Amino acid sequence: MSDFQGMDDLMQDFLVEATDLLSGVDNKLVDLERAPQDRALLNEIFRGFHTIKGGAGFLNATELVTLCHLTENLFDKLRNGEIGLNPEIMDAILDATATVRHMFGYLERGVQPPAAQARLLQNLKDAIAGGTPAVAAAAAPAVAPADAPDWTALHGAVTGVPVAAPSAPEAPAASLPELEATTNAYGRRATDKPGSNQVSGRREGEKVRENAIRVDTARLDQVLNLSGEIGLTKNRLNALRSDILNGKQDAETLHALDAAVSQLDLLVSDLQNAVMKTRMQPVGRLFQKYPRIVRDLARGLGKEIEMELAGEDTEIDKTMIEDLSDPIIHLLRNAVDHGVETPAERMAAGKPEKSRVRLEARQEGDHIVLIVSDDGRGMNPEKLRAKAVEKGLITDEEANTMDERQSLNLVMLPGFSTAAQVSDVSGRGVGMDVVKTNIQKLNGMIDIRSSAGKGTTFIISLPLTLAILPVLLVRLGEQPFAVPLSMVREILPVEPDQIQEIGGRATMVVRGEVLSVLPLSSLLGWEQVNTPEYGVLMQTAETSFILAIDSFAGREDAVIKSLDDFRPKGVAGVTTLSNGQIVLILDMKELLASLGDARGVPRHVLLPRMAEAA
Amino acid sequence: MSDPKMKFLVVDDFSTMRRIVRNLLKELGFANVDEAEDGAVALQKLQGGGFDFVVTDWNMPNMDGLQLLQAIRANPALAHLPVLMITAEAKKENIIAAAQAGASGYIVKPFTAGTLSEKLSKIFEKQNAKAA
Repeated sequence: MSDFQGMDDLMQDFLVEATDLLSGVDNKLVDLERAPQDRALLNEIFRGFHTIKGGAGFLNATELVTLCHLTENLFDKLRNGEIGLNPEIMDAILDATATVRHMFGYLERGVQPPAAQARLLQNLKDAIAGGTPAVAAAAAPAVAPADAPDWTALHGAVTGVPVAAPSAPEAPAASLPELEATTNAYGRRATDKPGSNQVSGRREGEKVRENAIRVDTARLDQVLNLSGEIGLTKNRLNALRSDILNGKQDAETLHALDAAVSQLDLLVSDLQNAVMKTRMQPVGRLFQKYPRIVRDLARGLGKEIEMELAGEDTEIDKTMIEDLSDPIIHLLRNAVDHGVETPAERMAAGKPEKSRVRLEARQEGDHIVLIVSDDGRGMNPEKLRAKAVEKGLITDEEANTMDERQSLNLVMLPGFSTAAQVSDVSGRGVGMDVVKTNIQKLNGMIDIRSSAGKGTTFIISLPLTLAILPVLLVRLGEQPFAVPLSMVREILPVEPDQIQEIGGRATMVVRGEVLSVLPLSSLLGWEQVNTPEYGVLMQTAETSFILAIDSFAGREDAVIKSLDDFRPKGVAGVTTLSNGQIVLILDMKELLASLGDARGVPRHVLLPRMAEAA
Repeated sequence: MSDPKMKFLVVDDFSTMRRIVRNLLKELGFANVDEAEDGAVALQKLQGGGFDFVVTDWNMPNMDGLQLLQAIRANPALAHLPVLMITAEAKKENIIAAAQAGASGYIVKPFTAGTLSEKLSKIFEKQNAKAA
């Protein structure tokens, strides 16, 4: 049972809109620190809290109302110049927005948020009281002005007492006793982690919420229009079919058929595009929350950082926006924590005191590129190599053969953390490798560029959509399989005399790099019948290897159909080729995992015929 | 009396709130509802004519509810329109300001269909009394 039964739709709308609003407020708060007197800004923030409060009232989210109400009152005083902004007040405000966001988390899960921390509420109250020693605003509430129209009294009767501002939220609370009970039953505090509500047992009906999406009506109209057109073309094809079945096969009919099929072709690809566009959201929604995070981090570390955003209008698939959120936070944290120097260090290095962290998005062809860059101290490839050797992640030999780019990419190995001391901001051992894995999950790639003393740039490149997966078709005998193209680096011919057995594994040397050769057949649990002719150099977050195959049939844009109920291990889904043949799309990660530690096969397994001959 | 066909204009910058009000009005049998996201847009729509009732939020960007109310009362073509103010403020000075600007009613968030119905019938009563 949800605390908000029957309000799901409303709740969805509220959360989408209120979250946007809150992100806006967060950014304005960052601006406000620079211009504490800006009345327009104060007004906008005031209105943000006010609006959230109004909506929350209808959802009976009493604690949210209380908190927003206090914050709103504080801004009322600030905008009227009754009190001035100081760091303590600012901290209380930032704390309040964080708590409001936290409460949204509860609402999202259909649970009434618990009360904000008493300390926060007290801080807000103190701040409000501090500005106006004589809190005369709390004038005698019961006395209605004589000259007011009769609805004033009426309104008083409805809302309880027309209470003075600070204590107003008590009225709704009192009228909802059962609500209080719910809140108390959980007894959580705002500091509790969102996940911890699982302790109270999985509540029935607490389903995973379908996320709402806001789509421009013009885009929906386009989809509607196109599907209508396709319907018309289908009718045309139906008519032509009966003509042809009735023996009418003159040139005119065939020409009409050709025209109709071409038109259908065009319409379907237009429709695909249009549908895809409905899922596209400006990346600005994602970017909104970052200035605040960067500011908080920088402040905590005593650094001065100017955050720059660019390309907020760039559109990305909605599901990707959500999955990108954490990796980008991580990269930004890294930039703030490890990337940029303290003001003193910067001065000493002859750089401006204030450092710059930039987050940019843009579309390049059929890819979206996200760039996180800083103008900090940069990374030292030499040091990275030494560190990786020291941690036993690579051997001395490997270190010697690495170029600069490969060295930089070392930071994305699991277990690598560059900071000499692990801080609580970033560098918790898990880190860049998780970022890389997450990006790869989205079929994306991440690259690092860095120059010492000038800064570091992370470049994330993502496909426009997840619905269409570029794959490489490989063959084992006559059977085709599809592997995600994002993992494929290159295709090489496999010469049996180049295969060497090292430590019981078949390996091949590619440009000085020793890579194990894994036949696709053994990954699938088949017997290797032919001698593989080609090798596909595959790269995952953890490892690179050569996938030995019989032949390949080129690349294809696969529309993935998932096998929901029965999902054989190692199969990500299926797709249909233009000739109607069904092809399995392989999940390389799962296949590799099924091998366990035995990441390789002896030479004679890979080359059965050669073994016989020998 | 209240005519179910009468056309409402719901003004609020928060679309969730517009939807809430629209739903409540529908519950009361008023299905003819248009929306505007701030006072400026509302005024433009009102000047286009055809509206019988305005329900407006107070705090909005561009033109707030009070300014909208004042603009409506200052325009001879619109001055007769009943205007119900919705706000989260239960402050005395706000209520007085609304009254002085000529609001027909004042309602504090959150409210139920019952409350809204009560407010509306009060306003209709007064209108009828005036007309009689």
